Amino acid sequence: MEGIIEYLESIKFVHLFMSPTIIWQSLPLLWKGFQAAAALLIVGYLLSLPAGLTAAFMKMSKNPIVRIPATFYIDFIRGTPLLVQILVIYFGFPLLMPGWREFATGPIGQISVAGIDMSQFVRAIAALVINSGAYLAEIFRAGIQSISKGQLEAARSLGMTTMQAMAYVIIPQTVRRILPTMMSEFILLFKDTALFFAVGIFELTLQARTIQARTFNMSPYIGAAGFYLMLTLPLGRLVAYLEAKLAVSETGREPENRQERKRRKAARAKEASA
Amino acid sequence: MTEQAMVRIEDLHKSFGALEVLKGVDLEVARGEVVVILGPSGSGKSTMLRCVNRLEEPTSGRIFIENDEVTDHKTNINEIRARVGMVFQSFNLFPHLTAKSNVMLALRKVKKISKEEAEQIALEGLARVGLDDKADVYPIMLSGGQQQRVAIARALAMDPHVMLFDEVTSALDPELVREVLDVMKGLAKGGMTMLVVTHEMGFARDVASRAVFMDEGVIQEQGTPEEVFDNPQNERTKDFLGHIR
Repeated sequence: MEGIIEYLESIKFVHLFMSPTIIWQSLPLLWKGFQAAAALLIVGYLLSLPAGLTAAFMKMSKNPIVRIPATFYIDFIRGTPLLVQILVIYFGFPLLMPGWREFATGPIGQISVAGIDMSQFVRAIAALVINSGAYLAEIFRAGIQSISKGQLEAARSLGMTTMQAMAYVIIPQTVRRILPTMMSEFILLFKDTALFFAVGIFELTLQARTIQARTFNMSPYIGAAGFYLMLTLPLGRLVAYLEAKLAVSETGREPENRQERKRRKAARAKEASA
Repeated sequence: MTEQAMVRIEDLHKSFGALEVLKGVDLEVARGEVVVILGPSGSGKSTMLRCVNRLEEPTSGRIFIENDEVTDHKTNINEIRARVGMVFQSFNLFPHLTAKSNVMLALRKVKKISKEEAEQIALEGLARVGLDDKADVYPIMLSGGQQQRVAIARALAMDPHVMLFDEVTSALDPELVREVLDVMKGLAKGGMTMLVVTHEMGFARDVASRAVFMDEGVIQEQGTPEEVFDNPQNERTKDFLGHIR
């Protein structure tokens, strides 16, 4: 084992980019960074859902006073880089909030959330929710509008209120249809948390960068990449699975490639048993 | 007659932008009557039907259901809709719910009936349209004719006083039309008040107590099926019936 590591470290490229020794030593800090990134992701995403749903309904409103601000918000956020939004929100937030200084230096502001100070955490969450809310709003809106008008009419003709029709007929169908896209947004948001390294939040990327700066070695980044993939790869597979399942429920048939795979699997099993 | 009218439509106008689809329709439907509405496409017959439960907002005119004014914005439209059943050309079953749950949903949420009772009503309703064996099946697994029968059961479960049928067989394969028409015939025989927009002339002849011919946004002619089919007075009616024979 030691011999193998020694051999690998002797190759310059491997040593500089994928050094087993350095990645191993980085693991504790990278794990802390991963926890921070995951906390940002989960809290940020969960709060983005109601924000996105609200913005989606506002954008579908017939009333221009409600619709125009939502349209502006969605277009503005989706049309500008997240990094710019993070800088504006992260450094703008304290300027806007009265008593921010007392809060940030006070006991609540110092509470650690997965290794991040609360005073940093709330600003990061604000940036994530404002950003992701706009993307989710468009996902929700497109999903709701993809449900045929006849569904709402059928529900209404049975005496349901618009709210009931939404809750029991339109939204359940929408969620099923957009679940894969919502999961993709979740994955995207996870990768986006890396941008918080720019404002000094010790998430995964900044942890890697700190070790890299100390060792002049790229391996910590590769270690960080491993942590990102730990979440994105299985989730990506899950999205693919959900999409296939959705195709079955919408058309009553499995997609061709899945059918083919099942047939081959069955044939193999038959061969094995024979 | 006026006191007894199930549905009363007075000088109904409906425009979509600059296009005037209904140009003053008056119609009265008595309890137990089966009124079949015929006419070329674009004549406004579906629009008229959709105004009755205000799925379309009338431009002007008044509509009454059992002396409640549908067109008065102070009336609770949901309460009226709960006793006006409607069946659509495109079925509009809720695809995320089983046949049984499709029937149960409005019973539970609108009528606030207990789950057990709603289930009971749903199963009886499905049996009535001959689909009790499909209670736990999702709409996608049903044929068009079966889906439409579930849709009828769903509307009937609300115990409506009047049923609106909007070209309910137009989207069906020819061999599936009959099973749906049979269910409707049974309903008519049972005394249900029905407004039926259709192109099924045979059905109109057999079942209708009155045939109404619409064209260009107004009622051109009405009478018993024999009068309208065998001895039409209006030139447009003659022309229309001549074309479809």
